[in-house]
Amino acid sequence: MWRLTLSNAIAHRSRLALTWVAVALGVAFVVGGLVLTDTSSRVLDDQFRTAAAGVDLTIRSSAGFDSAMGVEVQRDPLPATLTDRIAGTAGVAKVRAVAGGSAQLQVRGKTVTPKGPTLLGTWAGSPFTAYTLRAGHAPTGADEVVLDVATAKAEHVTLGDRITVSATASRTLRVVGLTQIGDADGLPNSNVLLTDLHTAQLLLGLGTGLTSIEAIAADDVNVPDLRTRLAATLGITYAVTSGQDAAAASADAAKQSISYLRIVLLALAGAGLVVGAFLIANTFGIVLTQRSRELALLRAAGATGRQVLTSVLGEALLVGLTGAAGGTAVGVGAAYGLRGLAKSAGLALPGGALTVTGRTLLVGLIAGTLLTVLAAVGPARRAARVAPVQAMRASDPAPATTKRGRLITGLVLFAIAVALMVVAATTGSMPGVGAAAALLLGAVVVLGPVLAPRLARSVGRPLNRLGVPGQLAREATVRNPRRTASTAMALALALALITFVAVIGSSVKAIAAAGGEAITADLMVQSSREEMLGGLSPEVGQRVANLPQVADTSTTRYGHWLDQGTTSALTAVDPNTLPKVAKVTMTDGTLTALQDGGVVIADSVAKERGLAVGDTLAMTFPRDGQQQLRVVGVMDDRSAQAMSTNYVLSLGTYATHYSENVDATVYVALKDGVDGKQARVALRAAVADFPNAAIRDQGEAAAGRAAATEQVISLITVLLGFAVLIALLGITNTLALSIVERTREIGLLRAVGMTRAQLRRMVGAEAVLVAAIAAVAGVALGLVLAAGTLAGLAADNPVVIRVPAVQLIAVVATAVLAGLAAGLVPARRAAKLDVLTAIATQ
Amino acid sequence: MTTLHATSFKHASAPFPTIAARAIDVVKTYGRDEATVRALDGANVAIPAGRFTAVMGPSGSGKSTLVHALAGLDRIDSGQVLLGGTDLSALSERDRTLLRRDRLGFVFQSFNLVPALTAAENIALPLTLAGKKPDPAWQAELVAMLGLGARLNHRPAQLSGGQQQRVAVGRALIARPDIVFADEPTGNLDSRSGAALLRFLRDATRSYGQTIVMVTHDPVAASYADQVVFLADGRVVDELANPTPETVLARTAHLDTPDGK
Repeated sequence: MWRLTLSNAIAHRSRLALTWVAVALGVAFVVGGLVLTDTSSRVLDDQFRTAAAGVDLTIRSSAGFDSAMGVEVQRDPLPATLTDRIAGTAGVAKVRAVAGGSAQLQVRGKTVTPKGPTLLGTWAGSPFTAYTLRAGHAPTGADEVVLDVATAKAEHVTLGDRITVSATASRTLRVVGLTQIGDADGLPNSNVLLTDLHTAQLLLGLGTGLTSIEAIAADDVNVPDLRTRLAATLGITYAVTSGQDAAAASADAAKQSISYLRIVLLALAGAGLVVGAFLIANTFGIVLTQRSRELALLRAAGATGRQVLTSVLGEALLVGLTGAAGGTAVGVGAAYGLRGLAKSAGLALPGGALTVTGRTLLVGLIAGTLLTVLAAVGPARRAARVAPVQAMRASDPAPATTKRGRLITGLVLFAIAVALMVVAATTGSMPGVGAAAALLLGAVVVLGPVLAPRLARSVGRPLNRLGVPGQLAREATVRNPRRTASTAMALALALALITFVAVIGSSVKAIAAAGGEAITADLMVQSSREEMLGGLSPEVGQRVANLPQVADTSTTRYGHWLDQGTTSALTAVDPNTLPKVAKVTMTDGTLTALQDGGVVIADSVAKERGLAVGDTLAMTFPRDGQQQLRVVGVMDDRSAQAMSTNYVLSLGTYATHYSENVDATVYVALKDGVDGKQARVALRAAVADFPNAAIRDQGEAAAGRAAATEQVISLITVLLGFAVLIALLGITNTLALSIVERTREIGLLRAVGMTRAQLRRMVGAEAVLVAAIAAVAGVALGLVLAAGTLAGLAADNPVVIRVPAVQLIAVVATAVLAGLAAGLVPARRAAKLDVLTAIATQ
Repeated sequence: MTTLHATSFKHASAPFPTIAARAIDVVKTYGRDEATVRALDGANVAIPAGRFTAVMGPSGSGKSTLVHALAGLDRIDSGQVLLGGTDLSALSERDRTLLRRDRLGFVFQSFNLVPALTAAENIALPLTLAGKKPDPAWQAELVAMLGLGARLNHRPAQLSGGQQQRVAVGRALIARPDIVFADEPTGNLDSRSGAALLRFLRDATRSYGQTIVMVTHDPVAASYADQVVFLADGRVVDELANPTPETVLARTAHLDTPDGK
């Protein structure tokens, strides 16, 4: 039986070829995603290990903060005197004080923006760091800086050039040295700037404070023991971590930002595989229907149903295994392509050689093989049920008819799904929405064969204009509902996901833009980097406020706090000036009450936590730990969106809980009659020596907020394109197979006078019709899922749903056109059939 | 050459039977090198208009190949095939398709109908492919003659084998073609349905002057024709007018012997 399986698979290789491609594509996606994220993790690990080099212990301020949004939360500076205390501890051989943070680099007046961070640090050679000077000397004075070789090369900077480095303060420094880091020219996607301690402190606005202290243990001292001893000496105010742990923690923070990429990639790979599963099931179904007489002959010759089942599954195993192997090989290469795609979408991914782990290969192989075999189970079971007597029957196998039970089951599932979706959406339960979505998909799969013919009849009405070819194309899709349904389902699923992403994307953008509506400021000055924590020197706000064109300014700051163990964000405002640049609507209490301390919370938070004015909220701050803040006001959610967080303090309160002294945004209201453009020029001139200060108007600010969303959405859409591609392969495959099945019919049509052009039109029309059904079903499904998700996410807030009509019309049009393309090859093949041979085919 | 057009003779007793189709020294080979088979080896035949002609011969004699060549379904290697005044060997594939659609009708042994179309739609197929509508009076007459009135809206799967073949005859006749080619039309039918079908074909010739060419190996079927053409080894070796089963059987028995020609 196994030999029969093998020879069958080889004999039907052309019919199985596209199935093979579908398996391989899906697996390539999975493997590519895994390889890419593994590579990124490894490179990040290496990068931080290298930076930590020979350091045994790192001492920082203790902060119970996990990192948020991929950015390590800034800790309180350490006092300079701590260095001596540590140096004086028995067992410590060497100590170095470090001031480091993120900065901005300007070369020849232009800001350099790497995909990753621009790191400002304190120079030290071996054994503390892995920095090795390639040229020049170490920085010693207030105007000297060392640059990594890679950045110097990329920006054409040579020794003696002047570059501008900005953090809290901004200075023009002379490049006195170029360094390599470990064995590499630099860190991937990053700029590294190293100065002496004093210059770094100055730039970072630390005064005499330090960000960390690194210690190296004496040769004969056990590092864990020393760590315990130091921790005991220094008390709970300071955290002592081993150098490797600190590196791992930093790497983890960086890896957080790519972990969501892994989830997205694997989710999309999953979608690709599910779409592929439909195609696989379909192909096996058709091939087995065509072979039903042969199978019946086998049964008549004494093969048991189980043997037939095993034989078919063996064939699936063969296709799955080889397809998965091919896909795994392709996937490793695809990782490069994915990395390019992700980078072009603005994601910071480190470069470097690819990491291929045994786990990746195993996952690829198992996923592909298992999927193929599972998808073939249905068709194989049907094949095993072929009665021996069918070998003797001359008639063609009757197409599967849809049963009443299917309709009822489908409708019941559908009703449950819709009910669950409505309940989950109104109560804001995302797991509920997810379950409803899964149920809905199930219902559509069950209902597919019942719905497909109906959809085909109505969607295909315009085809009647094509005359007989059009009519026959429509009839062909109606004739075998199960086949039409599963072919269309694959594409519909892919299109549903695209629709879902498009609607979510444009709605999120609309929400982001709506947040801006509450802001009435004419201009705003923000850090040109998009990160929330990077900030502006307070000097910027002062200079802007002093300009003659400016009527009012109001500054805001951001901070992190611990909310029952999880990191959350808050905004600090000036309650007196804020109303002049923003319309904050209070539903209870007043904004000005903030002056006497306390917190204003968003309406949704108040409802969720059952808080009202007069209640207290426990907030843990990095500087002074847990504090009880009185709720002094409640603002509506739109205002909270404009403030970017759900918790608002006054700048005065902020200063008591945080040590950071940088502004996030300076909102500017211009005097009446002042020309916006001229004011902008004046502002620019006033803050010219702060290159990280970007001046934006409302439109630009909204665009800035939307840009990140847009990039991610476009990345996901491009990746979903692969799922669509697999689905289109499905249309090609199904049509090609159904043409093999209809060879005699085609021969007959040609004999009685159907021209080749008419025949091509017939097959093409069928492909377009299937694609059109899929487009209608897919877009409808995607809209429902997106509406449910948005409603669920919005919970008590007003639901914002923006349907990007033009984009969706483009999706539908593209799908239909792609359907036409998918039909080209089968159509040509059908037209090439020799009339006489076709008629003579059994 | 317009006088050769069979369509100008739509009555049974034309005084001088004109020629509807003619094969002149037709050669058709299949395969290559040593495996070459000469299916037609200089075949000459004239199909008279307004007559029912049966083509007979042993297996491999080239009778199907001859009919396929006459119908423009197959290209020939040398010689000439004339349909009325048209030289088929000079036509492109597309022109031959259009000629089949507009001037010829076909009835095959089995699988004659498009499963997705109703009986009525199958009958009208050649005309609808050409973007035309059937003449209602002629359609009604055909349907009545073939006894298909109650079955017009049925799909092929809902029809018996005999009914399916009658629908095929209806489709072959609907466009009033120059010639109807029938390739073993009764091969898959029981004898009663077969006889009924053959009567329809004969009636089409008698009542409407329809030219019909039928390939068969059944002497009884051949006896319904006005004349029989016998093939052996790719050539026309004999003809017989006003056949009966007995005379046909006598000739074929003679042909089947090795030195029969």
